[in-house]
Amino acid sequence: MTRQQWAMPSVKLSESDYCELTVWRDPPASGPLNMAADEALARVAEQSDKPLMRLYSWHPHTISLGGFQAFSETEGLAELVGWPIVRRPSGGGAIVHGSDLTYCVALPAMHPWARRPEDLYAAVHGALVEELCHRGVAAAMVDAELAARVPDDSFLCFNRRAFGDVVIAAAVAEAVAGGCKVLGSAQRRLAGVVLQHGSLLLRRHPLMARTGSHAGLSELANVEGGDPSEVVEGWLRRLATRFGGPLTEMANVSWLADDPDILRQATRYSSDDWLRRR
Amino acid sequence: MEQSRRYAKSHEWARREDDGTVTVGVSAYAVEALTDLVFMQLPEVGAMVEAGESFGEIESVKAVSDLYAPVSGEVVAVNAELPGRLETLGEDPYGSGWIIRIQPADAGQLETLLDQAAYDALVGGDAH
Repeated sequence: MTRQQWAMPSVKLSESDYCELTVWRDPPASGPLNMAADEALARVAEQSDKPLMRLYSWHPHTISLGGFQAFSETEGLAELVGWPIVRRPSGGGAIVHGSDLTYCVALPAMHPWARRPEDLYAAVHGALVEELCHRGVAAAMVDAELAARVPDDSFLCFNRRAFGDVVIAAAVAEAVAGGCKVLGSAQRRLAGVVLQHGSLLLRRHPLMARTGSHAGLSELANVEGGDPSEVVEGWLRRLATRFGGPLTEMANVSWLADDPDILRQATRYSSDDWLRRR
Repeated sequence: MEQSRRYAKSHEWARREDDGTVTVGVSAYAVEALTDLVFMQLPEVGAMVEAGESFGEIESVKAVSDLYAPVSGEVVAVNAELPGRLETLGEDPYGSGWIIRIQPADAGQLETLLDQAAYDALVGGDAH
């Protein structure tokens, strides 16, 4: 098998493109609120002409569907009965949120890495591969040959292998198709901004005995004490370096404050019209 | 060099037809950038669209992209075969890969879009 390691975007930034990466870390929130906050992040990124990033988790644990997935697909999986479900604006497959760290990067459309979907994937995913390899973990990005070989119509994102997904080679039963997938992402491409969602699996979800029971960094990357937070810190530093500027952390500031626009959009994301649109 | 087409910055093209309607599609540059298209949602005939507002969506393997109306007006025709033959968008983006036809509310709106030279400059000279 051939793999593309430590991938970089195809477009090399010039000094005039260098910019800081601003990151928020939000407390756990519901699916509709998280989607509404990401939409607000995208609007601000477009106006400020800078890449912005939000890291968050989910409470309660939630299934998120890709923008084009049929709602009826959730009905065939007994383990998902009773779970909150939200539809993302981005594409890709369904994700079981609860043991992952979700990110949203919003990149203004005029940034050189916004022109082609794979460049932003390479920037974000490649930074994680770089960090994991630095720590001696056999991580790689899925190449086109492997992506073409694995069917991409599985309901769950982490059963798919798309070009650029981050996988870790591991001697466990599920280490098929290039290894265990720990990071998958999908985009919504709007006129003025690209919104990229991604899910980094931190650990195996305890409630998903069969479907969606995927290993995460804690099981695969041999991280100290099972805590992958240092990997995350290294990933962010490397991503900021790729953007050519400092990493700016917005401490003690949340997108989940009582912003009326975000609350209004959260209502839309929780509506049946949106959830069952397909 | 195609002179009759105009372009939105969001990569839709628009062409005025002899009957006054405006045919709309997606530029070859944009289709090539998206790659591996899998699904498309189009409006109904009779729908009203606003310039700069989304009128449909297209999904590639890992991205959902909005399609934006280059002019305002009523959708008078939809290329209904396209969602079942998405490869047409890449094979013939300015011909059989057309997406919708709009009866424009303001015929002059087309002139506010980018001409070929300006669009080429926007995408770095590889619009064709």
